Amino acid sequence: MVWISSRWKILAMVAPALILFTLFVVYPVAYSLGFSFTKFRGFGNPDFIGFDNYGALGQDPFFWRALQNTLIILVVGVVVLVPGSFALALLLRRKVAGAGLLRALVFGPAIIAPILVGLIWVFILDPKIGLLNRFLGFAGLPSVQWIGGDTLTPYAVALVFIWSSIGFAMTIFYAGRQLLPHDVMEASELDGATGFQQLRYVTIPMMRETFAIVTILMITNVFKIFELVYMLTGGGPVHRSETLVSYMYFTTFTNQKYGLGMALAVIITVLGAVVSIAYLALSRERKAS
Amino acid sequence: MSFPFTIRVAAAVIAASATMGGLAACSSSNSSPSDGPTTISLSMQNPDVKTADPATWAIVQAFEKENPNIKVEVTGEAVAEHLQKLSIAAQSDTLPDVFWVYKSNAEEMLQGGKVMNLGPVLGDLGLTNKFPKSTVSNFTSGDAVYGVPYQGLLTGLWYNKKILQDNGLQVPTTFDELLAVAKKLKEKGITTISDGANQSSFSVWSFLTDLDRFGYADKVQGILKGTQSYDNPDFVHLYEHIAELRDAGAFASNVSTQTYQQAVDQFTSGKAAMLDAGVWASSAIQKSSVAGSVGFWAGPQFKDGVGSQNIIMNVASAPLVVSAKVSKDNAKLAAVKKFLAFYYGDAAQQLLVDNGQPPVTTYKPKVDATAQSALKSALDAATQSGVTSPESQPDLLVSTTVANAMYDSIYGVIQNQLSPKQAVALVQQAIQSK
Amino acid sequence: MPERIEHYRATRFEESVAAPRKARPRRRPFALVAGAVAYLVTFLIILPILWIALLSFQPSGNILGNPFSLSQLTLDNYVKVIGSLPLLRMYGNTMLIAIVSVTIGTAVSFMSAFALTRMTFRRRKVQSSLRFYLLAGLAVPVYILLFPVYRLDLAFGVFGTYAALILPYIAVSIPFNTLLLTGFLREFPTELEEAAIIDGAGLARLCWTVVLPLMRPVIATILIFNVVYVFNEFPFASILINNPDMVTVSLAVSRFQGQYTVDYGGMMAAATLVLLPQLVIYAVFQKQVIAGMTVGAVKG
Repeated sequence: MVWISSRWKILAMVAPALILFTLFVVYPVAYSLGFSFTKFRGFGNPDFIGFDNYGALGQDPFFWRALQNTLIILVVGVVVLVPGSFALALLLRRKVAGAGLLRALVFGPAIIAPILVGLIWVFILDPKIGLLNRFLGFAGLPSVQWIGGDTLTPYAVALVFIWSSIGFAMTIFYAGRQLLPHDVMEASELDGATGFQQLRYVTIPMMRETFAIVTILMITNVFKIFELVYMLTGGGPVHRSETLVSYMYFTTFTNQKYGLGMALAVIITVLGAVVSIAYLALSRERKAS
Repeated sequence: MSFPFTIRVAAAVIAASATMGGLAACSSSNSSPSDGPTTISLSMQNPDVKTADPATWAIVQAFEKENPNIKVEVTGEAVAEHLQKLSIAAQSDTLPDVFWVYKSNAEEMLQGGKVMNLGPVLGDLGLTNKFPKSTVSNFTSGDAVYGVPYQGLLTGLWYNKKILQDNGLQVPTTFDELLAVAKKLKEKGITTISDGANQSSFSVWSFLTDLDRFGYADKVQGILKGTQSYDNPDFVHLYEHIAELRDAGAFASNVSTQTYQQAVDQFTSGKAAMLDAGVWASSAIQKSSVAGSVGFWAGPQFKDGVGSQNIIMNVASAPLVVSAKVSKDNAKLAAVKKFLAFYYGDAAQQLLVDNGQPPVTTYKPKVDATAQSALKSALDAATQSGVTSPESQPDLLVSTTVANAMYDSIYGVIQNQLSPKQAVALVQQAIQSK
Repeated sequence: MPERIEHYRATRFEESVAAPRKARPRRRPFALVAGAVAYLVTFLIILPILWIALLSFQPSGNILGNPFSLSQLTLDNYVKVIGSLPLLRMYGNTMLIAIVSVTIGTAVSFMSAFALTRMTFRRRKVQSSLRFYLLAGLAVPVYILLFPVYRLDLAFGVFGTYAALILPYIAVSIPFNTLLLTGFLREFPTELEEAAIIDGAGLARLCWTVVLPLMRPVIATILIFNVVYVFNEFPFASILINNPDMVTVSLAVSRFQGQYTVDYGGMMAAATLVLLPQLVIYAVFQKQVIAGMTVGAVKG
């Protein structure tokens, strides 16, 4: 399509998005990057301190804990969400009575503001008043400290994240599946492929981009989890259950170490980008082989 | 708003015009047509000031009624967003005229020249002597007074007499008695001290007072200068006592996931014997079914404590401050002056009390012994003979970072995440890190 | 040319979702199980939502103490929310901001995505770098943007207007839109566009009458997500709105959270009232996701 690609036409097509994005996303990031090299408490004046904030984070055990928690959520979340939402999309394409309604309902959690998602799940996961432990109690089983203990909180957060994202991911898979050309699917059926073979050798390979889209969205969304943790445990006890963003929020706004918080924010941005690119590189390699 | 409340407001307005004749005259002269209406913005730490902070709302309403040509534009967000907004506004020179902010932030803004020195204004208005001395010194940095007290911080442990009586227990005085209460109630499955750390790590007021029972006021300057350490044997003793309370089962099993609001709810629904809070909780308590059997306790006295044990935390909370820009606008300055004069006049102080807050001036309020029994018990505890108050709450004397470390250290022990030694070390680290 | 495209659509794409393939008798038990599983999973997913709805009818005292009680259900929370919040104004503001920002955001993203996947750059490196540049925005947490955007709004003189929110909302939606649009455009065969070009279509016509209609499921998906984003976006809204007349629905819930007080009943009722219009919007656009591919088939 070379002939429609004159230089000014390309420019006209790309410029609006590029300008808005650069002005309101890239420039602010650069601005905050500057603050990450300062000691700034939000109300006084910033002092330049070089890389000290980054050094301080390296020695901060709460930061490493937050990183570890985020990675747990990342692995659990992505491993369950991507195949789970794909299966759900296929399931809801079938001729099930009321499939349209079911799709709308499954999407429901994605509509709720994350802060409320957190609030609802407190009532389910709280070790004392939560629904889950009440059920365990009825069944004569011992209570489990789903949230607020030493270890389980990130898994609980992963569960809530999965719940709130599955309809979102399902909708993208659904749209991707809708775009598959009919003749190819028909051809594979005429070739006598079973449902599973068709899935394995036709549907999934043809939806590779859709898988990449969903996976990257889920990865970057995990790196943004904040409100869920904030509502479930407030990051506690003593910052044991912080995620990277919730700890950044604490550092920046509660603890009012603005410069340090921005350093953390920069690290989060870089990590999210690196993990996404690593995924893209890996999946491309797989495609090539 | 109920009918009696409107009557109270009306009565207060009448009382105000009577007691502050001079000011009333001022405002009438101002209502001449040559003087256009003035608007001052008041930015607070609650999203819905009318319902969440009825005392401030009532004062503003009464003030506007008395000064028809001054409009007070009240806005508010939750504490976190409020501080974010102020922080950005301070950088961009768009601060509201009058606003609530933490003491340490007000000091930082004073250094940046962003808030007004209220010393001369308070002198002009004759207010300086209406405040307790500690209040003014508390909000003084160098020779500048950067703030005026917003509301009172009268904190301690609310207790439910009925729960104690039903279990054959008396209101404790010493720490050992408190410990015995906790052990007894634990057997019955009742929470002794209701606390909630989720999103409210600051809700450890009674333990902050306990720091003053281990010599905090004398040590704090040395600790901040580095000549003394937060990691000292006295403080370690206090944290050991908190651990004893924890081991005795004094706290709820979900203390780390419940919020302060839930902690209050546990107490007001009769499921906990004591509530770690302050006088602001009196309205919620008064409305609840336990209202009749609630008393207020200043907190435990320690055998191994340092200095006077008979103390109660009765100090000024965060300040109200005035943007430096106001001093450059004569009309605004005049309006703000009038507002301050009104806020600290007796009528407005009585409005504070009517809405469940202690007065912040030396005014002796009228309290209804039945309709405000909870508030009365707290005010009585504060004025008991022999009891004294520290000058300030421990967390208000340090930076936000150190204050947060103090909260974490206390909840860390309550939640069995930190040993007493680790807890004090955590705070000491925060002090050194800056 | 249109006939040709319609014909192409009709032959290449499935006629309808509801009947993707002819029913085969041997599959019936499986379909039955699948249906049951679909209902079960859906039920589990919506259970917590039903719970918010139930809680919103509980008196505030019950929510913490006795959330399962059905004996005292009341409309008090709704009365309070409707009485204390300017809900219509909030919906109006939010819809205005959503319509403007989502329309512009989707349009500019579509244009750039088309250029980045379909047009030929002199240097291919530039093309893929630009795509990654826009995609990198996905990794940016919103809190890094707050302060600088506030200052940008002041500098551009838009602070205190709807544009103060609309501009960052557009910018923040671009990475997500780009990911979906470029991804699906890459997955999507170009034969049809080539056919249109042979028929003499220009750039505008190519985008508007050929590619855009084919991308309807994706566009609908993008619209849904962006509208939901605007409805729920809190950090920007709480900082960049200074005028009580301009508040959006995302601030509604936080109105019930004070320094020392939380009105859970009010929060739940406000949450439900914020949710309902979004579900309706989803239902409408969701139809578009399905309908996207069937237009041609019906005509064909």
